[in-house]
Amino acid sequence: MSKSEFAVKSSSLSWPDGLKGAIPLQVVVPVVATIGALLIGLLIIAITGGSVSEAVEAFWDGMAGSSFNIGSSLNRAISLGLVGLGFIFANRANLTNVGGEGQIAIGGMFATAMALHGAGSLPFGLAFIVPLFVGALAGGCWGALAGVLKAKRNTNEVISTLLLSFIALPLVYWSVESFHLLRKPISDVSSLPESPEIPDATKLPLLFPADGSSPLHIGLPLAIVAVIVVWFVLRHTALGLKLRAVGLNEMASRRAGLRASWLIILAMGVSGALGGLGGAIMILGQQYYLTSDFSSGYGFDGLVVGLLSRGSAVGVVIGALLFGFLRSGSINMEITAHIPSAVVLICQGLIVIAIAGSAILMNRKPNS
Amino acid sequence: MALLELSGLTKRFGSFTALDNVSLTVESGEVHCLLGENGAGKSTLCNLIFGVHKPDAGVISLAGETFHPAGPAEALQKGIVMVHQHFSLVPNMTVAENLMLGRSGPKLEPRIVIDRMAELAAEYDLRIDPHVRIEDLSVGERQRVEIIKCLLGDPRLLVLDEPTAVLQPDEIDALLAICRQLVDRGKAVLLVTHKLGEIKRIADRTTVLRQGKVVETVKMEGADMQSLVRSMVGRDVRSPGSVLAATIGIENQNEADSKVVSMLSQDRTVEPALQLSHLTYNDLDGVTRIDDINLKVMPGEIVGIAGVEGNGQTELGLILAGLLQQASGSISAGGKNLDGCSPEEITAAGVGIVPEDRHAVACIKEMSVEENLFLGSISQFTKFGFVNRPAMRLAARELMREFDVRASGPEIPMSGLSGGNQQKAVLARELTLDPLIFLLAAQPTRGLDVGAIEAVYSRIRAASESGLGVLLISSELEELIAVSDRIAVIYRGKLVGELSSDSFSRESIGAMMSGHEHV
Amino acid sequence: MIEEQLAVFIGSGLRLAVPLIFAGAGEMLSERAGVLNLSLDGMMLTSAFTAAAASWATGSPMAGLAAGVIAAVSVAYVQAILSVTLRANQLVVGIGFNILALGATTFLYREIFGPLSRDAIPGFTQLNWSWLTSIPVIGPALSHQTWLAYLAIFMVGVTWALLKYTSFGLAVRAVGEDPRSADKAGINVARTRYLGVLYAGALAGLGGAFLSIADSNTFTENMTKGAGYLAITAVIFGGWTPWRTLGACLLFGFATALQFLVPALQLDVPVALLLLLPYLLALIAIAGFVGKSRQPAALTIPFARGAS
Repeated sequence: MSKSEFAVKSSSLSWPDGLKGAIPLQVVVPVVATIGALLIGLLIIAITGGSVSEAVEAFWDGMAGSSFNIGSSLNRAISLGLVGLGFIFANRANLTNVGGEGQIAIGGMFATAMALHGAGSLPFGLAFIVPLFVGALAGGCWGALAGVLKAKRNTNEVISTLLLSFIALPLVYWSVESFHLLRKPISDVSSLPESPEIPDATKLPLLFPADGSSPLHIGLPLAIVAVIVVWFVLRHTALGLKLRAVGLNEMASRRAGLRASWLIILAMGVSGALGGLGGAIMILGQQYYLTSDFSSGYGFDGLVVGLLSRGSAVGVVIGALLFGFLRSGSINMEITAHIPSAVVLICQGLIVIAIAGSAILMNRKPNS
Repeated sequence: MALLELSGLTKRFGSFTALDNVSLTVESGEVHCLLGENGAGKSTLCNLIFGVHKPDAGVISLAGETFHPAGPAEALQKGIVMVHQHFSLVPNMTVAENLMLGRSGPKLEPRIVIDRMAELAAEYDLRIDPHVRIEDLSVGERQRVEIIKCLLGDPRLLVLDEPTAVLQPDEIDALLAICRQLVDRGKAVLLVTHKLGEIKRIADRTTVLRQGKVVETVKMEGADMQSLVRSMVGRDVRSPGSVLAATIGIENQNEADSKVVSMLSQDRTVEPALQLSHLTYNDLDGVTRIDDINLKVMPGEIVGIAGVEGNGQTELGLILAGLLQQASGSISAGGKNLDGCSPEEITAAGVGIVPEDRHAVACIKEMSVEENLFLGSISQFTKFGFVNRPAMRLAARELMREFDVRASGPEIPMSGLSGGNQQKAVLARELTLDPLIFLLAAQPTRGLDVGAIEAVYSRIRAASESGLGVLLISSELEELIAVSDRIAVIYRGKLVGELSSDSFSRESIGAMMSGHEHV
Repeated sequence: MIEEQLAVFIGSGLRLAVPLIFAGAGEMLSERAGVLNLSLDGMMLTSAFTAAAASWATGSPMAGLAAGVIAAVSVAYVQAILSVTLRANQLVVGIGFNILALGATTFLYREIFGPLSRDAIPGFTQLNWSWLTSIPVIGPALSHQTWLAYLAIFMVGVTWALLKYTSFGLAVRAVGEDPRSADKAGINVARTRYLGVLYAGALAGLGGAFLSIADSNTFTENMTKGAGYLAITAVIFGGWTPWRTLGACLLFGFATALQFLVPALQLDVPVALLLLLPYLLALIAIAGFVGKSRQPAALTIPFARGAS
């Protein structure tokens, strides 16, 4: 095998001259990747004998076919968006948090525990604010743990957040399995491993209570606030600058006087807290009781949203909406048109790979 | 017929032209020197010959045949070997393993390599233990391994890229002797350097490169050194300023520029700008890198620490910057104890540092010039956490103007600046600290062209004249002699001698640097 | 009675460690060359599915094994193009492949086998050599293994020998530590890394195939359950050396086997805690509480000649 086989000829990947600068590559690549992946998904459905039109119809119906579905899609987008925000926050310091699933799970678990044990009687909305806060705090600790390991022991945070996810999920399972913890008592109707329903006061208030079918709750404005705050911090504050510095060159940052260890722990902690908040919102906002697999798939979806957005908070919003609606659509597609939702997983995988692989286009140095 | 012929070679990196229509020949049996200052394109030329880069235009011929190497493997096959400036040995593998790399058949046979090493040891007096790991060898020993590696396959052309930068004076002699031996056996040597002194000693012919272009090629017999200097630097250097002379290594025939010695340095009641007492540092493997150092730098003086790289200077620099913790001993600046202080506290105490490693420690090259200038002091532009970018930009422009940092604007990344301008930016940041009582400049002129070197030293001199104490760590002996008030020599982590400016002698300092003398 | 439990425990521990050992040995070599394959789990899952499908279709477990390895190597090849030639972020690429593999295998499984298929797939049988079984405790444990278990340990030896005695192994070590110097010595850095990734893929293929046609004779969705990540952790825990990686894999295998031993001994420990034990151990391991180790200096760092 000669070396030239493995070399990428940079000239063949250049942007055609007329188009240069018209639309930034940062935007075009994710869009093209997504559309391409979805088309491949449709192709797969067609090849395996499914009815493309039925699939698309069921998909659309699930996404936006009723005000309930639209509301659910948006609710999903909220949690995905929070995980994605968490990802880009840590990524600013060149830290890759892939433990979103575990952070959601821990957040939801602690929020439920708080809601079931005492928060119900708090006044002035604290009944739901406190569990939300506790959920975020729990997720934050889970993320900060990986941060501490990175700062003090230089442990690769990709592996550690992943392992922490694998540790968190059985913990949630344990909490709903064990009657001593959160499991609801056996009744003559059922004895499923799940928690009792949380008190009404702790449920997140709905945005449109008159419209009985819309599940939209105040998690939405909360998430919007989070997006704005994260964007502002990363772009315009000294903290954002310092996170970027530590991510680029830890030693030079230390030399400049930055407290690198603390910044790393903070970045991972905030990242985990956003994920924990997402989990808390899922339980307090729509599900209302804890199950062992409530976080299933949201962590990776949120991660993909974060990766797609390439560090931009606006990108996270768009990605979260996209994936939130995609998820609703795929669930309905599976129920109604009997097409496995795994197709959407395939699309997501393709999108991630396409974006990662095209990084070479976007970071081109002058060729040597 | 020439062994190697380069015609019209051109190489560009983006919009920067590193080499422009370069033509020269190298004959078998000659030592051909490539002379030019830092940034002239010498390394790029070597990389083209060796196949690391491809030329944008021009032809390379080897013994009459065109030669377009796709990579180092091809160059090696054709008998071209290179001793790289920054070495090319894998640190955690042994000498034997490094020598086998790229040469062995499918099954490793160390015996063959060890036998060949013995042959070479006899022929050229190049001896080294094959089972030692590279990371345990001294810099001079590592270069020996590089050379052995080159000679294993009986090459035709040996390219040496700035080989003497890291050598002690006696090691330099040994290297030049080997070059002579090789050439006597009919091989060709291309020696790249910016030191005229070495060229005088060894070259048969010299090609002068300036800003990517060939200025002239001369036969060394009867050559005029002054004219060579003029070619290299581009202007007439009739009575070279002491620093300039130092850089290019010619004897300084004029008196050293008179130096205004600040009154402060004579005043014994003032606190030293820096005081090191019994400073010791052991690295992670337990090897003592800094051995009981005692040193005082008074305000207004420039103290130089001479020594070949690898004798503890790097560790000393990192400790003073607060990035490494000493094992024992104390450091104080202006009377204030700095033991165990963080870099932030050290800076607040008035200590400025120009680190030896520009890219890894001094600045974050992906960030903009203004961000690098103010990262440590960002709070002056911050209100409620929000950064006032316009104010920061204005201040950056001011600073860049004052220190002659040339760039298209403060918003471009540091990596877009030349080495000289990067260093000026670092100086701008450090010299404007307030308070500032002491400055450490570690290898400040490494990789800089003459203009930048002069600018750096004039800043340092001006700073010391206004009362700053300066510690200058450098392996460029001639520069130290030209600039310092006192010189201490570091060897294997110990200060083995201290001389004051009226008794500087290149020979005795050089001897101390090699560990031969103690004063 | 306790002897029996112990034998079962040791046997299960070994069995559970086998896919980790395969994947870990291969990944260790790839990481020594500087490429981290987070997609190890995806490769194993792909192989598990392909081996099951091929074995079911042809009736021959050997065909299944071969098919599984080929599938995993194909994934590895694409991964290599992305990681080495396109110099993509190795972490992101790995995660992408895992998602893709999960989606693809789940989808294909549903399409081909239907959601609740209980069809037994032809697989490899255990050795059950009587002379071995008669040795107390250890005997049954060693004997109730398929031949793949011994192949796994053999492959660790092969990997060790490759690294130590061949010039390919020398190139691997150089390329992972200091690719610039290796390049200047004439080594083809890209090719060496490609081979490392393909090697990891082939061994991951063996490990994945083991799951479906030797360990359980069936395929279930997401059947690797993070085994790939455990293998990567074992490599780190093992300090990137072959025998210590083997030890780490065995440790994780036994930790997983505790899930079955503890209830059998009628100890009242929540299943969940046992489920998370291997991952907790892995976390403690990589947090460095069990000895220091030095990772290959160029790990996850793409190489481009001439770039400074």
